[in-house]
Amino acid sequence: MSPRAAGLEVRGLSVRLGGRSVLEDVSFKAPAGALVGVLGPNGAGKTTLLRALLGVVPFSGEVDMTGEIAYVPQSGSVNSSFPIDAFGVVAMARYPRRRWGWRLTSADRALALAMLDEVGLAAEARRPFDELSGGQRQRVLVARALAQEGDVLLLDEPLAGIDLPSQETILDVIAARCRRGALALMTTHDLAQAARVCQRLVLLDRVLIAEGPNEEVMRTDVLRRAYGTSLLVIDDGAVIVNDGAHHDH
Amino acid sequence: MITTLTIGFSLPTPFDAPYMERALLAGALIAIPLALLGAWVVIQGRAFFAHAVGVATFPGVVVGLGIPALGPFLGSLLAAALFTAVVTGLERDHRISGGAVTGLALSSAMALGAVLLVSVFGTATPVEAVLFGSLLAVSDADVTRCLIIAAVTVAALFFMHGRLAAVAFDVRWAAGAGARPRVVAVALPGLLALAVVGALPAVGSLLVSGLVVLPAATARLLVVRLPGLLALSAALGLAFSVGGLAAARLMDIPPGAAITTLGGIAFATVATGLAADAAVRRRPGLAR
Repeated sequence: MSPRAAGLEVRGLSVRLGGRSVLEDVSFKAPAGALVGVLGPNGAGKTTLLRALLGVVPFSGEVDMTGEIAYVPQSGSVNSSFPIDAFGVVAMARYPRRRWGWRLTSADRALALAMLDEVGLAAEARRPFDELSGGQRQRVLVARALAQEGDVLLLDEPLAGIDLPSQETILDVIAARCRRGALALMTTHDLAQAARVCQRLVLLDRVLIAEGPNEEVMRTDVLRRAYGTSLLVIDDGAVIVNDGAHHDH
Repeated sequence: MITTLTIGFSLPTPFDAPYMERALLAGALIAIPLALLGAWVVIQGRAFFAHAVGVATFPGVVVGLGIPALGPFLGSLLAAALFTAVVTGLERDHRISGGAVTGLALSSAMALGAVLLVSVFGTATPVEAVLFGSLLAVSDADVTRCLIIAAVTVAALFFMHGRLAAVAFDVRWAAGAGARPRVVAVALPGLLALAVVGALPAVGSLLVSGLVVLPAATARLLVVRLPGLLALSAALGLAFSVGGLAAARLMDIPPGAAITTLGGIAFATVATGLAADAAVRRRPGLAR
């Protein structure tokens, strides 16, 4: 990770895909060292926002970002017929760094093993990826992102559908990176969890509904503008959102 | 020239005939790139495309045989390139992705070949050799081509390895990590088309996919890591090719059919053996 602090400022970001507006005029700031939750109902454009920041979907507007990006795509993006073990998946993070060729250096291998160890899977290094549990697989994919040594971590639903210990491990390693100056953006459907673990939130519904510290976004009137009738408000002010939690490809 | 340089002693039956030297060299040289490409084809689930690009060379070979100035090699190369460009281009349309374009291009190519064969170039064309290969059809030039194609393919696969692996495993992540999926999406079918064309004289257009898919699919049942898959696939491809050519000579059958039958038997044996093994392990009381 580079010594400079990672930071992100997005101004007027819009994405059109297939002639359809997916995101319109989204602006927000995210300071270095923060874990930022990206929230919104299905089809709100959360994944598209991450992919625009990655540079793999065309967008208009301005993105100021310091540092390299590391990425954890939504689960289900991997090809499970690919013959590979856990170590191989993490080591793959090092390939795009060398433009050509096959060999990993001993430093690459050491880094990949260290990242596997950090997510608690050093003992599973030689196990085939398709034999791991869902939570273990997700931890391997997070380790792959860590091995990219990025200053900006983009995580797409990294906690969806996995066991609680794996969720805790992943949140711990993200927090550790943030303490060292990285910036993490995480999309999620779990509002309660986002309120607990994130320092800032970005609430989307094709446009920016709200952004800022948790207490400014986690308000009934603000959430209702994104979630509409899916938002259930009970007497004491508790808020439950049922958005089906489907992935918004 | 290559043949006399490489094999300076007399070969045992069934490899003693001079044309067998050429067939053997061409078959062995081209089996390796085909099997290596086959590993990526199997991982990416593109076996149907691999079969189709072989069949699509049929009209090209017919035209090449009918126009001596063109020749079957250039004819088939043009047909394979055209097929690959059309299919990879049209498959981007999600309404007809998933094999529809490949399927219609495959049958169109077969039909075009049949029409050209009968109506334009006459029935003197050796159809069986075009479709199933011939031990007699391999020239010195073919052997040289196989050597060049093998060298180009192995080198390209080696240099692209990291990107290929990243894209084949997780294209979304690979795109974000700068692995250029579009380069891979063009390079892999392009190399496959080239290697398939190189194999045509010996194994024929209808069964060349056997040398692509069978070694890799058999190997995939036995290994769990990519380096092992590539190595075993290449070794099996070499064995199927040499063994099939020998069987073709001994039994006087078309080499493409012999190679593919051998590969099919090997795959079936491995698949059945593994299934039986798994069944025995599952039965209580029998396992240990």
